[in-house]
Amino acid sequence: MAGQTPKLNRYVFAVWRRNLLVWRRIMWASLTTNVADPLLFLFAFGYGLGAVIDQIAGLSYLAFVVPGMMAYATMFAASFETTISTYARISMQGTWNAILATPVTLTELILGEALWATTKGVFATLCVLGVGFVWGGILSPQGALIAIPVLALGAFCFACCGLAATAHAGSWDFFAYFFTFWVTPMFVFCGVFFEVTRFPWFVQLAAWLLPMTHLIAVVRPLVTATALDPVVALGHVAYLAALAVIAFWLARRRFARRVFD
Amino acid sequence: MTSIVEAEALEKRYGDVHAVRGVSFDIAAGTCIGLLGPNGAGKTTTMRMLMGLTRPSAGRVRVFGKPIAELGRSFRMRIGLVPQDDNLDPDLTVRQNLDVYGRYFGIATATLTARVPLLLEFMQLGERGDAKVMQLSGGMKRRLVIARSLIADPELIVLDEPTTGLDPQARVLIWRRVLDLKRQGKTLLLTTHYMDEAQRLCDRIIVIDAGRILDVGTPQELIARHVAGHVFEIAKPVPDGVLPDALEREDIGDAILVYTAEPSALRDRLPAEIDYIHRAANLEDVFLRLTGRRLRNE
Repeated sequence: MAGQTPKLNRYVFAVWRRNLLVWRRIMWASLTTNVADPLLFLFAFGYGLGAVIDQIAGLSYLAFVVPGMMAYATMFAASFETTISTYARISMQGTWNAILATPVTLTELILGEALWATTKGVFATLCVLGVGFVWGGILSPQGALIAIPVLALGAFCFACCGLAATAHAGSWDFFAYFFTFWVTPMFVFCGVFFEVTRFPWFVQLAAWLLPMTHLIAVVRPLVTATALDPVVALGHVAYLAALAVIAFWLARRRFARRVFD
Repeated sequence: MTSIVEAEALEKRYGDVHAVRGVSFDIAAGTCIGLLGPNGAGKTTTMRMLMGLTRPSAGRVRVFGKPIAELGRSFRMRIGLVPQDDNLDPDLTVRQNLDVYGRYFGIATATLTARVPLLLEFMQLGERGDAKVMQLSGGMKRRLVIARSLIADPELIVLDEPTTGLDPQARVLIWRRVLDLKRQGKTLLLTTHYMDEAQRLCDRIIVIDAGRILDVGTPQELIARHVAGHVFEIAKPVPDGVLPDALEREDIGDAILVYTAEPSALRDRLPAEIDYIHRAANLEDVFLRLTGRRLRNE
């Protein structure tokens, strides 16, 4: 119950490591799907949209869409891990109950889960980066490398948001809402496939509330070597960090009530 | 003797449900205490409050001489929990389960490497170290959960229904190991609804029902206090006037249990055509005396 301030320590690492060990068994399947996904996307969209769209924001469609897909991959992986997978660990496998009977505190458990989801988010984005690179869709490999820590922060933010949602989930049905009203909007409104500026102002406003828009606003210029104001970039990063902190706090508060009361 | 656990007027409410209604008891170091009660009696909730896993609505808990709130994480190092549900990691091997769990206690790799085989041996799982948990039988899973609870060499071991749902062989093996732990000087808290288990393993028994303690004592004390030495289990229908009014009895549906200190006197009164079993009173009778009425009224 103690340990209000999240700190990185061996207990957090123990939780992270447990998830890694379980995942290692399905690592090759995971690698296959994470690589096949962007391949299918790029193939289909490359032929479909790429043929229609000559240039977008001064870039080839391929160069435009790869950073968007990198952000999407990290968002989806981190969100899925902290909702469906975490909820299975809580409700079906009793993993959380087992861990909470040990010296690991709830805060450390939540942080361990968030960091594990971040790891999976980074893994997913690296798969897209690899595919995009081979396909010729990465204009600036150096920029892409700089983008990875930003994507990791994004993954952490999505993980905390997912945990905050899971903390409120009463049953599996709850996650249908989560995916329809959180994941899907970030897929379609936040600039993965085209610029946010094409939407009417009120949609744009809503899009800028979602963390995905901020993540793409930093990642795309980095990966495509286009202009990026460092101050603006810092603002986006700060937004992601702030949302992560708020979501983590909400998740912790709600889980504490569910676990201990 | 020093008390390892002191519970004082513990209460727990979940909304309108009053799961535990003022429970107080002590657990002396090196003893085995049984929390005995039917399903829903409040055993698990009480146990969770003692471990700081559930916040009490009222009352106090002291563990190792201090209130839980002052103990931080250190006291968890000294308690091993065997939960009611097998919450092992089904995707990991037997050995990995112990290794992963040990790291939650911050145990160093070298220590774990040395300790894990010993624990597997102790719980007779030595051959199954590399088996997946899903491949284990119910009894083996249970033994693994017990091995897991011992990973940090705890002083207090809390066993929540350790043998529920197991076959007799598996139960006997677990009882032997629990008695071994007692001999090693561990303090044990056991919840169960099996009377034979409580009678075999526990020095003291707390009978709990509907969130209240009904009585506390050694198995012998409880038997002496609540049931006369002998029990006649008499099949229904029992003709009127056969049973002396002075004798205590309990209706258990298709039979009546009659308690008496003088078995021959009662035997002489029973008509030849009546079907009955005569046996020594045991904890089960105590339990029925203490909680039976409630069951009947439901």
